[in-house]
Amino acid sequence: MPGENLIAVLILLPFAVGLLGLAVRDEKVRRPLVIAASLALMAASVALLFTVLGRGTVTFSPSEAWEMPITILDFAMLAYFLYIGITSRHVLVTALTLGQWVLFPLLKYSVLPAGYEVERVFRVDLLAVVMGLIISVVGSLIVIYALDYMREHEKHLKLSRTRQPVFFLFLIGLLGAMNGLVFANSILWLFFFWEITTLCCYHLIRHDLTSEAQASALRALWMNLVGAVACVLGMILVFRSAGTLALDEISAAGTVGPALLLPLALFCLTGFTKAAQVPWQSWLLGAMVAPTPVSALLHSSTMVKAGVYLVLRLAPSFEGTLLSAAVAVFGAFVFMTTALVAISQRVSKRVLAYSTISNLGLIICCAGINTDLAIAAAIALIIFHAVSKGMLFLAVGAIEQQIESRDIEDMEGLVSRLPLITGAAIVGMITMLFLPFGAVFAKWASMEAAAVPISPWFPLVVTFLAVGSAATLVFWSKWIGRLMSNLIVARKEEKAERRPFFAYGALLVLVSTAVVLSVFIVPLMSLLVMPAGQEMGYGVPFDTSGWQLRTALGTFSPWPLFAAVLVAIVLPALFIRVRRDELQPAYLCGENVAADPVSFRAVADVPVTAATGGVYWQRAFGENQLNNWINGAGILLLAALFAGVMM
Amino acid sequence: MLYDILALVLAIFVAPVAGGLLRGVDRRLTARLQGRIGPPILQPFYDFFKLLGKSRLVSSRENLIWAWAYLVLTVAALILFSLGQDLLVIFFMLAFAGASLAFGAFSVKSPYSHFGAYREIMQMLSYEPILLLAAVAIFLETGSFMVADVLSHGGPLLVFLPLAFLAVLIALGIKMRKSPFDIAASEHAHQEIVRGVYTEYSGPFLALIELTHWYELMLILGFIALFWAQPLWLGALLALGCFILEILIDNIAARLRWSWMVGVSWVLGVGLLLANIVIIQVAGYGPGL
Repeated sequence: MPGENLIAVLILLPFAVGLLGLAVRDEKVRRPLVIAASLALMAASVALLFTVLGRGTVTFSPSEAWEMPITILDFAMLAYFLYIGITSRHVLVTALTLGQWVLFPLLKYSVLPAGYEVERVFRVDLLAVVMGLIISVVGSLIVIYALDYMREHEKHLKLSRTRQPVFFLFLIGLLGAMNGLVFANSILWLFFFWEITTLCCYHLIRHDLTSEAQASALRALWMNLVGAVACVLGMILVFRSAGTLALDEISAAGTVGPALLLPLALFCLTGFTKAAQVPWQSWLLGAMVAPTPVSALLHSSTMVKAGVYLVLRLAPSFEGTLLSAAVAVFGAFVFMTTALVAISQRVSKRVLAYSTISNLGLIICCAGINTDLAIAAAIALIIFHAVSKGMLFLAVGAIEQQIESRDIEDMEGLVSRLPLITGAAIVGMITMLFLPFGAVFAKWASMEAAAVPISPWFPLVVTFLAVGSAATLVFWSKWIGRLMSNLIVARKEEKAERRPFFAYGALLVLVSTAVVLSVFIVPLMSLLVMPAGQEMGYGVPFDTSGWQLRTALGTFSPWPLFAAVLVAIVLPALFIRVRRDELQPAYLCGENVAADPVSFRAVADVPVTAATGGVYWQRAFGENQLNNWINGAGILLLAALFAGVMM
Repeated sequence: MLYDILALVLAIFVAPVAGGLLRGVDRRLTARLQGRIGPPILQPFYDFFKLLGKSRLVSSRENLIWAWAYLVLTVAALILFSLGQDLLVIFFMLAFAGASLAFGAFSVKSPYSHFGAYREIMQMLSYEPILLLAAVAIFLETGSFMVADVLSHGGPLLVFLPLAFLAVLIALGIKMRKSPFDIAASEHAHQEIVRGVYTEYSGPFLALIELTHWYELMLILGFIALFWAQPLWLGALLALGCFILEILIDNIAARLRWSWMVGVSWVLGVGLLLANIVIIQVAGYGPGL
């Protein structure tokens, strides 16, 4: 199939399947339909990969007949946002939409010449392919997982009439919109798909229709609309000074003149809002009220990744400018502060959310550092974060449905109650946290990239990265510790682990992907990540001979590291045996009660049950303590970014 | 190749012997400072072999797995160091090892063990940024993160990185688990029964942990020696001096709260490093620039 058709399939198929599901409404039809469509999306994205590897960048412009319907849809969405704003009496949503009602027609009918369209509407290079693979493979696995999850979810809510058709329309539709967004070369089209992702996100968050869900959805909406206004403003300014709305022409110009810096900064702002960077992190945290597949999708392969994608896509055009340095400082700041706040969180999904924001900050920081090495690190991190984080959300969702809690304190010793899923979650966390897994490889690369003094601000960037890296260690380790503690054998009355096929299948595929990609990181870097950077105009940072990743500054050798981890953890886990008579109750500073291994006799011989609990250091790292400072500093940094660009 | 094999032998076999001897010196010196005679220098080895011969009492299987992981990952970090590998990779590996010790403590239902684990994590939060930034400072001076390149670098780093060196001393104190930083478990002459992160270890597996500490000590002293890499014997003397300094501090200081430890490492440690990095940047020396 030629590349153009693959692009069309990847964008249109999800919408078609979603609408078909809406029309048919029967679960017996929807399940096979969704599974078939997901497999088709995965296959198409892989086919597109080989097409682009073989033939190079694919470009494609749809016929001009599309122009009218797209414009109508653009305005229809604006009308719909206005309707939401007015009916829910939300001042910000209304005001921001009205702002777009002024700016968007201004752009369309006053700034742009009549019938303007860029030469290559869609342009699929390797970066777009990488994004497309993440969206279509990780995203589709999440959609498959949702089949089992939503059945259970609705059973739990005791709905009289299923709302799954609507849910799946927006869930799969989001994949199509994301594919469109990353394939678009025309910023007008990118903006169109961008708005669809906002729309899907709004509906997915408010899906359960509780008052909390509705409030969170509105918050997500207005924050994303801030980005949309910035994007339209950016388009107006960029066309005024560069005379084009094509991404490739903007970045092909090399580093741009000062006149283009302001619109580029506005586009970065658009990316920051979608990627939930400080001070907009609250929309992503609020999005946690939605069913878990939504969180998984928003966090790993769609939505927030659109934000970092946009910044990364524009990086070549602001290389070496003050904007670049400001983006690096800002990203590193977000990386550090959100990792610190994550330490104090005891709701599992909130830990995952803060960790997502933190990692996105690191990607943005890399885009700002803007060297060969940093860009390769950013792309690698996008891939590994998508796989590991998607998997972790799926695991937490499945755990939540079985223990009916998302509190980490209720997960004490879960590894002995739900061994399969908890084991997978622990492996998932380790892939985010430790060598030699890909996410930490990317952290290593970004740290080394940040240490090179290319801007006067690098000491600040590298310090933020070092402290943030340590904070990351704390919140993951604590959580892993909670999952593993209390190894008393599962009590009889407890239910056995339910293992729904599609949910567990999707999850285990993602865990193995995270491990396999890490083992084969050298070919991954040399075949995909570095060529993607080269197409963007960057150099080759790694010498990959001898199965190592060697830069001018340092070396990362994955296989010896894997051998060490194998000897350290896998082998002892397989071979260490303990005889029954060697097992002793823990030391409890009193006389242990013979019948109960966790009770001891304290004062007056009264038996006391020993309890352990997690520590969250609320007074040091709590949201109440830190949020105002973080948001204040974030706003200041952004203000400095714009002030610097305009001077 | 021959050099690599020699380095491997040094890392795997010679390092623990040297580390154990240093621990013996430590105990003897501490005893003298406290007006006691103290044990023979070889006492750590006597303890080690005695522990190995004890029967196994186990609180959970996972506890043992993570103790083993702690040992292997620490040795792996030391091997990477002796083979002249990347400093950041070594420190990330060391972080995995440290976390394994905490995971081991978490995998038993004992409140003491858990307290120790949380505090161990807090110790990591304290020294991790110092080690990473120290590697960056060294990179700025030598133009490489590779230990091999740092070793062959001409001038003594200490002259250019005095503030960074002071910060590393804080990390050394925490890593050696000496007062005022022995927060996760009291190290002091082993007088306490409830020893935080080590509470549930006994017999051969306690020996394993003791052995790991010897490796760890050699790794961190090796890192300090990098500050005066040419000639290397001066670096070794520097490391030895720092080791004795830590013992002195250990004996005149009391254990303090974790918040104080994090505060000192972040404000003083990270502050010193940042200052040193900025000075390098402003003064404009070093091939990294």
